[in-house]
Amino acid sequence: MSAGNPFEDPLRFERRVPECALVIFGANGDLTKRKLLPALYRLAYDRRLSAGFAVVGISRTPLSDEQFRAKMQEAVRRFSEDTEFAPDVWETFARSLFYVAGDVADLGLYRGLGQKLTEIEQTRQTGGNVLFYLSTQPSQYAPVAQGLGSAALGQNRGWRRLVVEKPFGHDLASARTLSEQLHTVFSESQVYRIDHYLGKETVQNILAFRFGNGIFEPLWNRRYVNHVQITAAESIGVEGRGSYYQEAGALADMIQNHLLQVMATIAMEPSASFRADSVRDEKSKLLRSIRPIKPDEVRENAVAGQYGPSRVGGADVAGFRQEPGVDPQSETNSYAAVTFFVDNWRWAGVPFYLRSGKRLPKRVTEIAIQFNAAPLAIFDGDTDSSGPNLLILRIQPEEGISLRFLSKRPGTGMTLRPVSMDFNYGSSFGERSPSAYETLLLDALIGDATLYTRQDMVEASWAAVEPIQNVWRETGHAFPNYAAGTWGPAESDAMLVRRGHRWRKP
Amino acid sequence: MSAAVSADSILREMTDLWVTLGAPGKAETGMGVLRACSMTLIVVTEEGEDPVVLGETIAALMPVHPARAIILRLEGGPGRQLAAKVVAQCWMPFGQRRQICAEQIEITASETLWEDAVSTAAAIAAPDLPIIVWWRSQRADFGVLGGLATKVVVDSARGRDGKRALEQLAEAMKGGVRLADLAWTRLTLWRQMLAQVFENRHLLEQLPSISKVTVAFGGERPPASAWYMGAWLANALADASSRVSLEMKPDASGVVGQLMRVELEGASLRTELSRRDGRLVIAVGTLTQCTSLPTANDYQAMHEELGIVRQDAVFERALTTAVRG
Repeated sequence: MSAGNPFEDPLRFERRVPECALVIFGANGDLTKRKLLPALYRLAYDRRLSAGFAVVGISRTPLSDEQFRAKMQEAVRRFSEDTEFAPDVWETFARSLFYVAGDVADLGLYRGLGQKLTEIEQTRQTGGNVLFYLSTQPSQYAPVAQGLGSAALGQNRGWRRLVVEKPFGHDLASARTLSEQLHTVFSESQVYRIDHYLGKETVQNILAFRFGNGIFEPLWNRRYVNHVQITAAESIGVEGRGSYYQEAGALADMIQNHLLQVMATIAMEPSASFRADSVRDEKSKLLRSIRPIKPDEVRENAVAGQYGPSRVGGADVAGFRQEPGVDPQSETNSYAAVTFFVDNWRWAGVPFYLRSGKRLPKRVTEIAIQFNAAPLAIFDGDTDSSGPNLLILRIQPEEGISLRFLSKRPGTGMTLRPVSMDFNYGSSFGERSPSAYETLLLDALIGDATLYTRQDMVEASWAAVEPIQNVWRETGHAFPNYAAGTWGPAESDAMLVRRGHRWRKP
Repeated sequence: MSAAVSADSILREMTDLWVTLGAPGKAETGMGVLRACSMTLIVVTEEGEDPVVLGETIAALMPVHPARAIILRLEGGPGRQLAAKVVAQCWMPFGQRRQICAEQIEITASETLWEDAVSTAAAIAAPDLPIIVWWRSQRADFGVLGGLATKVVVDSARGRDGKRALEQLAEAMKGGVRLADLAWTRLTLWRQMLAQVFENRHLLEQLPSISKVTVAFGGERPPASAWYMGAWLANALADASSRVSLEMKPDASGVVGQLMRVELEGASLRTELSRRDGRLVIAVGTLTQCTSLPTANDYQAMHEELGIVRQDAVFERALTTAVRG
């Protein structure tokens, strides 16, 4: 939105995409078809795109603009989950789709792209504004950035931005190397590292919950919080991504990025404003306050798991090592649980338990904040009365917030039982929530980096998990150590029991 | 129908309703229901209005803006009639297993007991939540409800004289009532598309050169929406230091009461938004863009209004200018 537009009405008008071009590298890939194009189509459907907006798809397969449009139409029809396909909307939108074929290693591709962008700028008045989206293999990030640099496409009179998908490296050193390579062409303020978890409405709602309400923040510290559990469970296996997944594993694929970002959102200090740098400064500070786990502490504070074959819901389920594309001797963790501590005044001594795994009993992502028990138990004789207060922030599938507290059971005696006070996001706000990619694409096109990960945040996250990675790489695992369809290895339960806690069964 | 109508009796009925709905096995799924309420919506209506159509609109609004809905219906005729009925509006969210329900209270009163009905409605509003009054009555005075409401939503397109309707609204606004007008709400898409045109820096720079604005409408007299559009354009262009002449022009081929076309003309720029066969066509110089222009029915307009419980400064300024101009 232009600052000086006198027709603006922020109370009623939705945020909209200004005139610009979006260049997608990897335009024939799964991410483009499943997420990016459906998200862009939805933005078009909601009239969020300007008349001059354009998409340039780039891939090796030779295609005409028309063939590319036909492919994308098929993708939008197939993968738009909650948006009707309106032929007239598609027709207008399709006219903004263009295609350039080429190999990212060939510098000729970037010259051709430069010509295309000049042409688009003239016909669609994009003002030279371009967002480059790297939806490619991570190994191609640096070559593409350098190719763009060689054709002087990284800077222009309009704005230029670069969106990078995870993984941002595979350890601290490679994350730094990647950033250095990107920075030869793009400054850090131009780089948008996307973590689709942060685009979820309910993750954003954590900030609203914490900093929009006055009553919770006073309790949000070591004095009242006993411990925090963050769970991201998936019921599915690797689903055809075996070869990719066995290079990453749950620790690198989920905990290093998604869950540590969620933890940062939960534990960060209030930011001075909701501006991108202000929020990201606080998250970064929190991530840098995570106590590094020493090699001899890894066994006590981190558990790796890998699922074995089992029978779930009456069907045989393969173990991880039996999945297609997976090495039968694979030592990859399909489950990881870690205890982190934050060394600052607010959280000193409060354990943050993070776990993520595949083939767990159900798909659920939630944050559970367990408060300390009442200092004196005056109601005795009822085992239920020992239930601690719990605040549950549910991210998926049923987004909402629950507070568990004790209530008197009806009757003449004074017996207590835990009850739950529920807020269901979907029922209180029946409006459709935008998908994470709609939110994040719109943010990047508008230039709002609040929900994007900055280099220092990435490095701090890697610094937190790298000691665990190093120890796990050097020590063997007795895999498989949990059956598909269960809540992970017994060692994970033991990790909490040692501190007098136990995992919630969400 | 209850014989004795009081706030206490209605609140008791509501409690009984939730106990019944929450009892195991009572809801369709046997899982009980989830009660949702984000505001109180008081709908003031009269005997002549089709209760089925209104009921359908309210039912459609509930899943997106769950509310304690209170329908206050004035029924003519002599005598002292006052009756109330409590029902639940329930729906099953797609892919979920538990119904969500909101309360609906229908209070019917004759003229003599109208004030009793209003005070009962005020007493049963959900505490600590916004109160939105949807005023569909022909009565001009909002009475107690005007002071109670977070916002009163009217529709000046329902009256014959658009200008007169706006003058009455401006009076109420001066009296401290926070207002919304669905005739204004229906302009959002037009206004948004025009704003989008000027997000282009190059076009924005040419804005001060605009010297003439034309607002064309169907029928002989400008409807409220045309007055609003003209006023909003005048305000925005004044902010951009443009000195413009505004022409309100009947369009013989247009549908009576509808906004048909908006033109902004200047030395180096001509922009036009026009309604054509259910489409909004935006022309900027030689470039043309066509987008769908869904009919803004009551549901859509109320959906937008219920999402705004803050003061709407742009609307208030447009109303003030429209009445002055």
